[in-house]
Amino acid sequence: MTRVETTQAWRGHDQRLGRAAMTFLLFLPALIFLGVWFVWPLGQLILLSFQAEGGAFAAYQEILTSEVFRIVFFNTLKLAVFVTIICTILAYPAAWLLTRVKGFWFSIALYCILVPFWISILVRTFSWMLLLERSGPVNNFLITLGVTDQPLKLLFNDFGVYIGMVHVLLPYAVLPIYSSMLKIDQRLLLASDSLGASGHTTFFKIFLPLTLPGVTAGATFVFLLALGFYITPALLGGPHNLTAAMLIDSFVNERLVWPLAAAASVILLVIVLVVLAVTARFVSLGSSVVVK
Amino acid sequence: MKRYKPSPQALTQIFGAIVLAFLVMPIFAVVPASFNQASFIKIPPEELSLQWYAAFLEDRGWMTSLFNSVRVALLTTAIALVIGTLTALGVERLPKRIRPIVIGAVLSPLIVPVIMISIALYYVTRSVGLYGTVPGLALSHALICVPFVLLNVSVSLQRLDPNLARAASGLGARPGYVFRTVTLPAIWPGVASGGAFAFVLSFDEVVISLFIAGYGAKTLPVKLWEQIRVEFTPVAAVGSTLILTFTVVLFILTRLSARKRNSSAEGSQ
Repeated sequence: MTRVETTQAWRGHDQRLGRAAMTFLLFLPALIFLGVWFVWPLGQLILLSFQAEGGAFAAYQEILTSEVFRIVFFNTLKLAVFVTIICTILAYPAAWLLTRVKGFWFSIALYCILVPFWISILVRTFSWMLLLERSGPVNNFLITLGVTDQPLKLLFNDFGVYIGMVHVLLPYAVLPIYSSMLKIDQRLLLASDSLGASGHTTFFKIFLPLTLPGVTAGATFVFLLALGFYITPALLGGPHNLTAAMLIDSFVNERLVWPLAAAASVILLVIVLVVLAVTARFVSLGSSVVVK
Repeated sequence: MKRYKPSPQALTQIFGAIVLAFLVMPIFAVVPASFNQASFIKIPPEELSLQWYAAFLEDRGWMTSLFNSVRVALLTTAIALVIGTLTALGVERLPKRIRPIVIGAVLSPLIVPVIMISIALYYVTRSVGLYGTVPGLALSHALICVPFVLLNVSVSLQRLDPNLARAASGLGARPGYVFRTVTLPAIWPGVASGGAFAFVLSFDEVVISLFIAGYGAKTLPVKLWEQIRVEFTPVAAVGSTLILTFTVVLFILTRLSARKRNSSAEGSQ
């Protein structure tokens, strides 16, 4: 090996080292930030969950055996499941409409889904409070129609919570379903049609199965977000609509029992991770996130 | 004679349109509510008036919370832009195989339930003296904003031809100069939309703020939350309308810049 080649090889080595160092430097702010402001706080909280007075697992034991906690967790799961089902059913035709309209009407339809993404959940929830009030426009409308004589109780109960949560979470279901519908090869539908299948058969045998990955991804997003929901059920629900997040809040701010709050949130996190792991086996969630 | 029967397709489209209307219409109920003349909220208002806007402007509590929100959102945007953009540049230099792992790690704060992040940060900020401060809240908001900056900048980086930067450095430009003159202008749209997203996310954020803002950094959403838990006042509708206006204006701006970007890209091809 001549001297020139050696120096060139060394220079290449130096450049590669410099490149690696540069890449590392680019990641450094994120590493420090996530380490100090995410991993450390969560670590502290997880440690705290094992520091209850009665021993390492006392907090978990108290939570898992407590009647109140079981009821609240069951209610939270039930709420998340039903909200997910309603969102998916409503999202499907909305996504389909998006694939059918063009030009101006497509922009309008798309903005109907994107704008709510940007708008504060608190403002949207407050809007529902004003609309569903005893003397609010919805009740006035129902009375004018003659559906009811007395104003209905639409707020601070299950109805309020469901309508508010479905409204907030619906866009998360529409986008993945829409992107799965876009990916369908139109020729498959034509082929099915020309082979004599009815519209009904084509839909159930071809169209619906091909959109299932999008449906699964959308349903997973809605379910996971619904599990940890706080703002909407706290404002639109009554005393019976306690969710896991509200219980954790009361552990911290009212009862000042940190290990219980920590243990409850660890349980919530474990449920989220299990659901994610299970769905990730069936669909690639990552590819359905990048819709825009 | 055959009776007209609507096709399933038409019915589905009508149903879809109703769902879309359901998504958008209710959001704007707070706007008419804010123009009420009466001291209670009536939709639609019987008489229009701006008096509750005047009341908002004169109320020290509401105005302070508005300024706090703007300060927190600006600082959050700055933090998220720096960290998110640098990370996106770093990801671009990694082999394709390990990119999803790194992106997943940066996105992981979005997977953890917000309530858990909130109480964890509440616990930690109190011990390091950042509870109830603008920087403490901005750092916490940045946790959920960095992922969106990363995703937005990554998308524009993928559109950038790496040969451009190579050509520039081959011609003797130093790395800093290449970044300023080639990379940054190319990824600017992604940085801008990531920044707009970060600003709006921080400006709207409620749950983390409820736990960390305390009294010292009480933001507009926290003030609004406290207010509407007690009673529905027209001033609360004014606060909501302001949040709504901020968001819609930023949304329109990013859409316009995206349209401009797309049309200029078509023009250059």
